[in-house]
Amino acid sequence: MERKVALITGAGTGIGKGIAVELAKIGYNIGVNYNSSEQGALDTISRIEEVGGEGLLVRADVSDKEQVTQMVKAVVDRFGGIDVLVNNAAMQTNLSLRDYDEEKYDRVMNINLKGYFFCTQAVIPFMKAHRHGRIINISSVHGKRPTDFDTVYAMTKGGIKMLTRESAIELAKYGMTVNTIEPGAVDIGVKSGNPRPIVSKEAAVKMQRRSSKSQYPLGRVGKPQDVGHMVAYMVSDQTEFLSGASIRLDGASMLM
Amino acid sequence: MQKNRVAFIADADSPSAKAIAKRLADLGMSLVLNSPSCGERIGQDVKALQDQGAKIQIVTSPLTSTQAVKGVLNEIIERFGRLDVLIHNIDVLQPTSIEACDESLYADLIDQNVKTAFLCTQIMGAQMAVHQHGKIIYVSSIHDEKPTGSSFPYALAKGAVKMLCKEAALDLGRDGVTVNLIEMGPVDGDNVKFASPISSVYEHYDHKIPSVVMGTYDDLAELVGFMAVFRSNFLNGADVRLDGGFTLHYMDHKMRETPVMEA
Repeated sequence: MERKVALITGAGTGIGKGIAVELAKIGYNIGVNYNSSEQGALDTISRIEEVGGEGLLVRADVSDKEQVTQMVKAVVDRFGGIDVLVNNAAMQTNLSLRDYDEEKYDRVMNINLKGYFFCTQAVIPFMKAHRHGRIINISSVHGKRPTDFDTVYAMTKGGIKMLTRESAIELAKYGMTVNTIEPGAVDIGVKSGNPRPIVSKEAAVKMQRRSSKSQYPLGRVGKPQDVGHMVAYMVSDQTEFLSGASIRLDGASMLM
Repeated sequence: MQKNRVAFIADADSPSAKAIAKRLADLGMSLVLNSPSCGERIGQDVKALQDQGAKIQIVTSPLTSTQAVKGVLNEIIERFGRLDVLIHNIDVLQPTSIEACDESLYADLIDQNVKTAFLCTQIMGAQMAVHQHGKIIYVSSIHDEKPTGSSFPYALAKGAVKMLCKEAALDLGRDGVTVNLIEMGPVDGDNVKFASPISSVYEHYDHKIPSVVMGTYDDLAELVGFMAVFRSNFLNGADVRLDGGFTLHYMDHKMRETPVMEA
């Protein structure tokens, strides 16, 4: 069976890595985008190969249009097209409203929101040519519920919600579907950004205790492969009518 | 009356500003009006407000940089010594598509609609927090939930501001500042403003309002007036949809032909 092709941004770490491995398992070759996590991205490639897939390492800053264009071209040149784009690369500073400066505001807005737009725009010609394509935008429960620790991060997730809806109605004519996954807390190992600013050590211990007892009805936070499983389902033939949707993937923690 | 209170309106030249300014002046507030036309487009309205006794200050700033917003805040403090209410009503739209939009247009629409809101909230909100009171109100749009099919950066911007509202409601709420958002629905002419080759939302848009009575900026100003005073102190982090039920409509055969008339 011919392998399909997915491009996953931010695939050197955490959720992106989990998605890459799960898609490789179901027959995808993967464009593994990273910007600074080269070692992580190389590990992602190894794990893709372990399950019988092929990975292409593509370094690009998703907030740079030219780099995005080159990244998409590299994937198409290597694998012959793109069936699936997973927008996942994001930055989280853990700065509250009053602690942000303008430079950091711009950086987070450019990576987390403009980057999703650039990547979406860049794959359109290739998906349009095949009258088929799936775009999955990885967002967060913080597209709806505030973080209370990173204002601009939540703002970008609110923007992604609307990017998905606008893309879904605009790109439907090309046979493309666009959907969002809103993960809750996911154990990704090492986290980026500053420590959450207003949490004292005592508060952190209390939060951790509360987390395990009452915050997560299924008794755990999410794993990267949980998101990978959802993406695998959303790119399957069973979901061709799914578009413009946001699926909260948090083990019901938002309801607590 | 809200005597001695000072309100800042981020785009005093916009269609919504005239009614909002009048409502806040009626409540006794002094007004700082940010006018991109340096007051030219609002001269007569300003004079009318001044004739009724309102204190008015005109400023002109793009509000797209920290320096610019701090400059405006300094002018306000110099003149009035305080700021109590921020009305962010900047609402810039230009038709474009995801497929064709260039980077500069995207950046311009995001900066004007979102960055101004963020910087005004951050800088003016911090000033309000010092005094442990204040009101921040975003005049946003139903298109923070409903796609436009005509200008995706506009909808992205409104989605981002909606989350800004919720974040600021927590952060500034702990210092006595309330932060709320109005999702404004259709007013006369929005079928042209939001004309879309994809979406049919604005076809027969007046009849999609159950009462067939179109919204006005006076309706908006009434709600802004409520959100800007102490009576609304428990309202925080809310997004109030002000659209007459427009976005709930989907059964075209049930549309009224004629407007509901008051008895």
